[in-house]
Order: sequence, then C-alpha cells, then structure tokens
Amino acid sequence: MKQYETAFLIAPDLPEEDNEKLINKFAEIVSEKKGKMINIEKWGKRKLAYSIKKFDEAFYVFFNYEGEPDIPSELERNFKQTEAVIRYLTLKKGAEKNIRKKGKKFKKVEKQSSSLESQSDEKIKEIKEKTLNNEEHQEEK
Amino acid sequence: MARDRNDTKRTFRKFFPPKKKFCRFCERNIKEIDYKNVEILKKYVPERGKILPRRVSGTCAFHQRKLATAIKRARLLALLPYVED
Repeated sequence: MKQYETAFLIAPDLPEEDNEKLINKFAEIVSEKKGKMINIEKWGKRKLAYSIKKFDEAFYVFFNYEGEPDIPSELERNFKQTEAVIRYLTLKKGAEKNIRKKGKKFKKVEKQSSSLESQSDEKIKEIKEKTLNNEEHQEEK
Repeated sequence: MARDRNDTKRTFRKFFPPKKKFCRFCERNIKEIDYKNVEILKKYVPERGKILPRRVSGTCAFHQRKLATAIKRARLLALLPYVED
C-alpha cells in the first residue's frame, strides 16, 4: 500500500453541480479499486498563472489516497477521456528516501574500523619493539 | 595600480563585510517543501519567473534541490508562471 496525491484542474465553464458530479465520479474510482481516500481538498476557482486551453481560471481539486499502483493509472486514463479536466499531476508520497547517503555512511564506518585495526596492530608492534629495546638496554647495563 | 585597487577592495570588505546569508528552511527545520504552498515559493521566483539562484538567496544545496522540484511542480499546475514579462 502506497500513499498517493493526485491534483487536477477542472475547466471553469462547467456548472458547479457537474463539477461535484465529476469529483464524486473520480472519488468512486478510488473506492472501487479498494483504495482508501484520506481527504479531498477543494480550492475552488482560482486564477491560473498562464492560460491553459484558453482558460484563465480553473477549479483546483486534490485527492489524498492510499492503495495499489493501478489506482493512479486508472484515474489518469479517466482524466484523459474527460475533456473538462485540463491538467493533472500524481505524486507518490514519502517515497523520497536518500539511499546514497546511507551507503556513504556505511563505507565511512567500515574505513574507520579498518584503519583503527591497522593502527592498533602498529601500536602493538611499536610497544613490543620498545619493550625489546628496553630489555636489551637493561642487559647491556 | 591594479594591486592598489585590489587592496582598497580588500580593506573595504574587511570593514564592511557583506551580510551573511543563511538557509531559511534550515533555520525553521523544514524537511520537505510542498508545491501547494505558493506563498513561500513565490519568494523564490522574482518577477521574471525564474528560480532564484542559491548564491543570491543563500539556501543550502539540499533545500535548493527540493525548492526547484517544488517550483517545477507548481508551474505544471499553473500555480506559478513559466515565463513572465
């Protein structure tokens, strides 16, 4: 189960009743595919930053839902068929995990541990040599 | 002559250092930037509609990457302009 966020814009020339119908229709698709709708956000009519298909305004709707990956594909297929939907965008939520960082850290830790081991080996050797030298000195005296 | 000019520049910088920039997202401990939050994104998109470079805004590399993707997503949904003149 993955969490998705789908945003879509509905053309402003539709009456509001049809708007509601469209939104309900898309919401039903999610429930049909055994998805779990978390929340529906409606921003209402909003000015566009640039004109899309010669419209200057659009209704913004956001779906937050959970489910299998065939739900967004099914939704997008429906968006393409309905002309009233001008634009859509689906995102996977919480999918951006930085794997590379973890790998780097692991390598660093390994290097450190290996270097520590070599250091300790060298130290032991040094200590042994010192003690040997000392013993030799004592014998000379 | 050239050296003199450099020296004056250096001394000027010494006494009037440029104001230190900092990442506004790190300061507030924000980890993810949402593309729906247009009011924040607008601060990083000056009149022309381009993304403000890091050297100007002072955001860290991590947040600049997140910002850029958020702005691009917002552009797709016509929340922000691609070009504006």
